[in-house]
Amino acid sequence: MHINILKEVKSDYMGRTGLTILLSLLALALLAPLLTHYRPEDYTGLIFQPPSARHWLGTNDVGQDVWTQLLYGARNSLLTGGGAAVLAVLFSLLTGGSAALLGGMYDRVLMRLVDAMLVIPPVIVVILTAAYLKPNLLLLIVIISVFLWPAGARMVRAQTLALKESMHVMAARSFGGGRTYVLKRHLAPEMGPVLTAIIIQFARRSVFMEAGVSFLGISDPSLVSWGKMMQDALQFTYLDVWKWWLLPPGFALSLTIIGFTFTGTALETVMNPRLRKEVHHAGD
Amino acid sequence: MLEIKELNVSYNGTQVLKNVNLKLEKGQFLSIIGESGAGKTTLGLSIMGLVEGSCSGAMLFNGRDLLSMCEDERRRLRGSKLAMVFQNVENTLHPLYTIREQIMEAVLVHGADDKRKALAKVSEILALVKIDGDRAARYPHQLSGGERQRALIAMALVNDPEVLILDEPTASLDAFTKNEIIQLLNEIAGDKVTLLITHDLAVAAQLSNQMAVLYGGRIIETGPSEKLLANPRHPYTRGLLRSYPGMDTTKDLQGIPGKMAHNVTGCPFHPRCTQRINICAQEAPELVDNGRGMIACHRGGIIPLLEVKKLSKTFGYYKAVDDVQLTLYEGETLALVGESGSGKTTLAKTVLGLLRADAGAIFYELEKVSAGDAKFRRQVQMIFQNPRESISHRMNVFQAVKEPLDIHRLGSEEEKLALVREALEDVELPSDDNFLNKYPHHLSGGENQRVSIARALVMKPRVLVADEPTSALDASVQAKIIKLLLNLQERKGLAILLITHDLALARKASDRIAVMLAGRIVEEGPTGRVLAVPRHTFTKSLLQNSRVGQLCPG
Repeated sequence: MHINILKEVKSDYMGRTGLTILLSLLALALLAPLLTHYRPEDYTGLIFQPPSARHWLGTNDVGQDVWTQLLYGARNSLLTGGGAAVLAVLFSLLTGGSAALLGGMYDRVLMRLVDAMLVIPPVIVVILTAAYLKPNLLLLIVIISVFLWPAGARMVRAQTLALKESMHVMAARSFGGGRTYVLKRHLAPEMGPVLTAIIIQFARRSVFMEAGVSFLGISDPSLVSWGKMMQDALQFTYLDVWKWWLLPPGFALSLTIIGFTFTGTALETVMNPRLRKEVHHAGD
Repeated sequence: MLEIKELNVSYNGTQVLKNVNLKLEKGQFLSIIGESGAGKTTLGLSIMGLVEGSCSGAMLFNGRDLLSMCEDERRRLRGSKLAMVFQNVENTLHPLYTIREQIMEAVLVHGADDKRKALAKVSEILALVKIDGDRAARYPHQLSGGERQRALIAMALVNDPEVLILDEPTASLDAFTKNEIIQLLNEIAGDKVTLLITHDLAVAAQLSNQMAVLYGGRIIETGPSEKLLANPRHPYTRGLLRSYPGMDTTKDLQGIPGKMAHNVTGCPFHPRCTQRINICAQEAPELVDNGRGMIACHRGGIIPLLEVKKLSKTFGYYKAVDDVQLTLYEGETLALVGESGSGKTTLAKTVLGLLRADAGAIFYELEKVSAGDAKFRRQVQMIFQNPRESISHRMNVFQAVKEPLDIHRLGSEEEKLALVREALEDVELPSDDNFLNKYPHHLSGGENQRVSIARALVMKPRVLVADEPTSALDASVQAKIIKLLLNLQERKGLAILLITHDLALARKASDRIAVMLAGRIVEEGPTGRVLAVPRHTFTKSLLQNSRVGQLCPG
């Protein structure tokens, strides 16, 4: 099974949609200063404005431009998502990989720790942490990744264990290939697909978690975030503002998660032989 | 009674016999075996004093040196005390005389004056070789091949010689006649010294109690017939046995690489020997006694390449390999058979060091193998059961075959490429760039398995551990791969530990079989013996189950 993953995902309808959504969101976030005249913290002086040529999505209760907030919110969402996912996946790789390779007592203790971590409800811990520490973006990323890595560590460990016993690794060892050689030539290249899958899953979960945490108001109050926008907008549902203030962040969040889900599903379809429709070989 | 000491014979400067030493007592039946051109007939002729070349050394017959006798003295012994049955029945009888007249001649030459007595003697000997008087009155061309052979034997026997030399007495005879002649020879050998010169191992096995293997004019191995045939210790003797199609031969016929040459410095067999070392080309080995007969080999005979001593491996409470002892000799196939789950693969992996043994040791070339032994890793390779999984799908043919070279950092990239091409050609795969760039999923199962064999062979290993190398392949591909391995064995002396549950395959490919049951070796022996007379009950039932579904029922 020699697969060009990117090519396969792109050839899948769902994968193409997912990637398009994610790339568009990324473009919007990166190009935010070009797409609006305001800064997210700017007060325009006009509150509860309906959408107009000056304010595409109107303004909020303190007169901030909602479109600008949406764009800069995407920045924070994707940054949290990406940052937490990368951090968590690195930690998964380190723990899961080492547990599989070293085995023994280390493996057993580490995996029980993973089991224990999986049953701790994240929100309570985040609330407690926020109560004691001054929350900021970096802390948020760290906390989210702490909750993400155990699931990844399990997957990495399972994959490494299977690979370690695979025939081609046995063969390489029978020629006299040492630990480092096998790790470099046989294990690391094989980890690529599973890591990509894990990273996308992590990103989806951390975007959602970040939105949830800021919705509950336990993140940095100065941070522009879709979750906080929705929380603020919800207090004014008796006015008409929810149409342009509440719905856009909701849609944006849904779209982001749909983008990650589609890409993840496409990736799984490609990598899981039971879900593959037909086999495309490299070079075909 | 007849003792040959340091006999050297040469024709026009070519030494045909070198330093031959033999001691024969009354009642001994010695066969001299070897390829044509080895000097067997020359040895017989030089005992008779009929050899045309120059002889040196000593040949003591009843204490007197034959070589220092004058021609007249030798002539008197020839035909009376020393007699020879010549090869090539067609030419040795005179076409113008009847059989009786020719036998009579032998008596009269040795000074019998009384013709009547001589006639009686001839009739007696004709009765012994079972030719009736009517047939004896005929000319050679009127007789059958068997009768002519009998007549020749009668001519040799008529003066009741003490030493009888038989040169290929049964060549060109059909099975019935051959058997009759063998019976006759058995009867008449009695307390004579008999020397049988033959390349027919079955005849030698039936007649002689001692054997000497002659190669390039030197005796390279001697011993009691049974032991020598069941357990040859010189690589040449084994090669001779492997190329001989006996009725109980099971393994495919294999030859000996190269051809025999005289005037070779060092051991005469070294150019064809697969286990030669530097000294073999420099010095000829002495014929020495190593306890079970004499052998002339610098390495002391076929060397035990891989020894497994009291090896155990347990998984939890489960004993997968239990106190296993095995020896794999140079250039042989040892088949490890048993049902699945009997610990065959675990044994192989433990031997290779892929699993850590709980107890026991592995010896390679008589040295204990330690964990990071690079020589062992280079020279002992494994072929895995499933070819497609044993090659990483990320590697193309070139990268896969090159992998062991990369690990051991052998040679530059160009040298590696050359070695890879050579290995691919060895396994009869294309070695062009197009093939080198293919990935495992582009190849068929048989091609993949051959790539994995090439990968094992690129290191030029001495030992190959093959775990069900053909179980995933169809019969024609299996045949190709087994032939390939046996060919490599013949050419390069590859020792193969063949792990299989297929007895029929083991029968055709192995020299010895070890039967494994629940982690233990329950029976081990030459393949022919184990399959014909299994000793352990498990072997018997394994055989019975394997016999189901024969190709020619009846």
